[in-house]
Amino acid sequence: MKCGLKTPGARLALRVKHSLTISAWLLAAGLLVMSFRPASAHIVPPEELHPVAESYRRVSFILNLNPVLWPQVWSDMERIQKALGAVDLPGAKKYSAELATAKRVAQPVGRGDEEPDMVVARKNGSRLAFSLVTRGVTSLLISRLDGIKADSNREEVKSRLNEARRVFQAFAETLPHLDPEAWKRMQIHWLEASSHLGAAGVMGVGARPMDLGKIRENTAFIRRYFHANFSGFRAGKEHRFLPRPVASETYVETAKVPWRLPPGSDINKQLPRPRQILGMAERGASEAETFLIALGDMAFDSAEIFGEPARSLGVSCNTCHNKGVTNPKLFIPGLSREKGGMDVSNSFFAGHANNGLHDPLDTPDLRGIRFTAPYGRNGRFASLREFVRNVIVNEFNGPEPDPMIMDGMIAYMNEFEFLPNPKLKKSGKLNPGKVSEAALRGEKIFNRKFPLMMGGMSCASCHIPSANFVDHKRHNIGSTGEGNQPFHVGGLDTPTLLSSKFTAPYFHDGSLPTLRAVSEWFNRQFNLGLNREDIVGLTSYLEAVGDGVQGIEDTVYTLESELEEFKFFLSTYERLKQRKKKELITILLKTVVREVQAHKWDVQDKGNLPILNEMEKKLNEALRAHLAGDVKMTDGKIAAYHALYQENQDKLK
Amino acid sequence: MSRVMRFIRVLSPKAPGLFLPVAALLVFSTFLFAPVPVHAGDKELRVAFIPLENPEKLISDVKPAMNFLEKEMGRKVRYFITLNYSAAVEAMISEKADVSFMSPLPYVLANKYSGVEAVLGEIYDGKSYYYSRIFVRKGSGIKRLSDLKGKTIAYVDPISSSGFMYPHDIFVRAGLVDGGLEKPEGRFFRRVYFAGGDQQAINSMVGGFVDAAGVSQYALNLLRPEQRDQVVAIAQSARIPSHNVVVRKGLASEIRQKFIAAMMKMNRPRNRGLLRALYGTDGYVRVDHSRYKSVADMARKYGFLKE
Repeated sequence: MKCGLKTPGARLALRVKHSLTISAWLLAAGLLVMSFRPASAHIVPPEELHPVAESYRRVSFILNLNPVLWPQVWSDMERIQKALGAVDLPGAKKYSAELATAKRVAQPVGRGDEEPDMVVARKNGSRLAFSLVTRGVTSLLISRLDGIKADSNREEVKSRLNEARRVFQAFAETLPHLDPEAWKRMQIHWLEASSHLGAAGVMGVGARPMDLGKIRENTAFIRRYFHANFSGFRAGKEHRFLPRPVASETYVETAKVPWRLPPGSDINKQLPRPRQILGMAERGASEAETFLIALGDMAFDSAEIFGEPARSLGVSCNTCHNKGVTNPKLFIPGLSREKGGMDVSNSFFAGHANNGLHDPLDTPDLRGIRFTAPYGRNGRFASLREFVRNVIVNEFNGPEPDPMIMDGMIAYMNEFEFLPNPKLKKSGKLNPGKVSEAALRGEKIFNRKFPLMMGGMSCASCHIPSANFVDHKRHNIGSTGEGNQPFHVGGLDTPTLLSSKFTAPYFHDGSLPTLRAVSEWFNRQFNLGLNREDIVGLTSYLEAVGDGVQGIEDTVYTLESELEEFKFFLSTYERLKQRKKKELITILLKTVVREVQAHKWDVQDKGNLPILNEMEKKLNEALRAHLAGDVKMTDGKIAAYHALYQENQDKLK
Repeated sequence: MSRVMRFIRVLSPKAPGLFLPVAALLVFSTFLFAPVPVHAGDKELRVAFIPLENPEKLISDVKPAMNFLEKEMGRKVRYFITLNYSAAVEAMISEKADVSFMSPLPYVLANKYSGVEAVLGEIYDGKSYYYSRIFVRKGSGIKRLSDLKGKTIAYVDPISSSGFMYPHDIFVRAGLVDGGLEKPEGRFFRRVYFAGGDQQAINSMVGGFVDAAGVSQYALNLLRPEQRDQVVAIAQSARIPSHNVVVRKGLASEIRQKFIAAMMKMNRPRNRGLLRALYGTDGYVRVDHSRYKSVADMARKYGFLKE
């Protein structure tokens, strides 16, 4: 059911066919705010933002982290400065001077024996930077509105109005919560202003006059609001930096502003997905044998086992380890350094376990994980159970997991198989008939002992071919840099090389993009003396070892296999009920509801969407009945879901 | 590469904030990207694209499709992006462009005033037509069109087909508003807004700033999945013929036929990748002007066409 080879079908296209808009300005602007590219519908396309709004939101997110990734902050703030410089030169100069001050405060240089207090520097620097960037964006917004003069023509007015409106989106994740009343008023003023622009028509046909007076009247409120609240904005000594509109009579001081990931984030699962092979499928296990595996599979896909903010953001184990492998596109500004990795000991997802370092890790492939102990990039956990618990509780702020959930997750992860690889014999040696001459040369190099490498070791000393290419030890090969990463002191766990062809980039921090780069790195690091031909051979060997039959699924249409997987999740219901695991049933139903909600949009024939809506409704009703303690009703609604699925399975592709 | 193109390419990645003002300043230029000589002769095909997407991305994305076209036609293909439909039509009138891509209402106007002719229609989800819909928030209590009396609606733009003419027609046909486009509120709506785009219109409705949005059916896909669940369509417009590919008046028959044949070859499974860059269409179907008669009729009904 997880093989994913049986999900054929035509794709679902996401598009908007945009109707005629005659105005040149509107099209020029519209192209920046609309995206029409086809995609699978459960994949959420990034919001198209004005570059200034994008930078402001990203800076606001990163300034609330510890540590603050200052280079990204300065880069975004300089972007805003440039935009400001194009419309308000004196304002940009003032901004530039204050930015220089913020940099000095945030990243002070020690004098003599006096070491600066970096905690105070971070806090003060963040406060200055957030205050400045909020004033800067406000200044840009106001200057665009002020640019609408009594004698401006339509194209000028449209241009300035539209840019101001797009810059205004910088505050779209905070002001609707901090001042909902004013936010709504301003939105209606934008609509009024936009409606009074009129139209130039197509070749003169359909023209409507512009009412400049009405436009200025409507934008005046927005201008006044921003001027009063943010022109002189100074962030307070608060736990979280927010643009608090303290001058507004309708400001809600107690508002809770939900966390959103910053622009540039990508937590979508990749398509096509990695091919996952579960041992249970190979051995033909029946449902009676798979309760724990199904429960673990569900928990692996569930944001409900994590705490906030991961839960609300829909982050699950599967987000990073898509199909138990890796998600090479995963990226969160401020937490990631390379795509496919993230700092998992950060202040955002679990502040209580933040190590205070920006130390992103490349997300490891979990294929064959039962063979690769110890766990964690630095091998700090001897057992998989300890490791998984730590991920739930200390990396993603979850509650202490029920032992049955833990049993399930371990049972599930123990099913993760390596990809079949005919290029390797069972001994781990290359199968000569299946590989190139270069790979065979590389095998010899891999097994050769090098006097300058770790006291005369070979590559195979750690990556033991007959033991799944691991030695279950930690080694310090010098890949963590010079002593500034206490987390990694003592070396890193030896990763397996099996299936590695599909899991670039490489090394604990994802710093090497290819297996060739890995070969070259070892050659340099340990003066192996390999020539170009040797590097080609060694790389060919690594590619042969890391190969596998169909590492990636051959389709991007996943609804059919997802629905089968949800059925698998729900197969745990009866046993959970027998064991009186009410909380786990809640997690189960919430998880399946959320998954159906996300994936139903992938249905290729949209005419069948109502069926999926009905299935989702049944699950929601089951959840409500369960929460109300009505077992009979819960049973009935789950049965109705299954019946609907059974009846319409052929249509749901 | 033209000076304009170099200018945009230099500005955009380094200082994206400057792009829009620059683009706005170029509004009165004929082309955003204008590498086409005034008299390119008959040896090449000149394709004008409408910038519905990022122009830089569009110009690089369409390259494989244009290379394919060039190979299939055995003729040099030059392509560029205009600022808008009017500029594309003007380019075809002055024979600076031979073919272009259009949406229904601009097409019928362009046909009327310049003689351009639709030869290919786009296919979406297997269909060569789409609809405009009236979306409202679930739980708003609005179940039918008449429930919108005294309420507000956001359309896209006063001269949009799926974002104004067609959804407005829904209310006219329901007998709720009269036919006039000048005062679309009639005695029915409290206020009609033109939000400036599908995204702004549907987001205004989702955000609760207006009660309904009259937009393309595909505007729903601009929402996040959980937002899509918060809205429902209560009415659908008459069928709108899909966007199309047009050729200029007077284009040599041989070139026209070769162009159509080459474009139709993009429908073959192995060429589907080429289509994605062409406004995300799933394929093309041969059409002629008669296919857009219903659009012309509606344009006439609402005064865009006088006869």
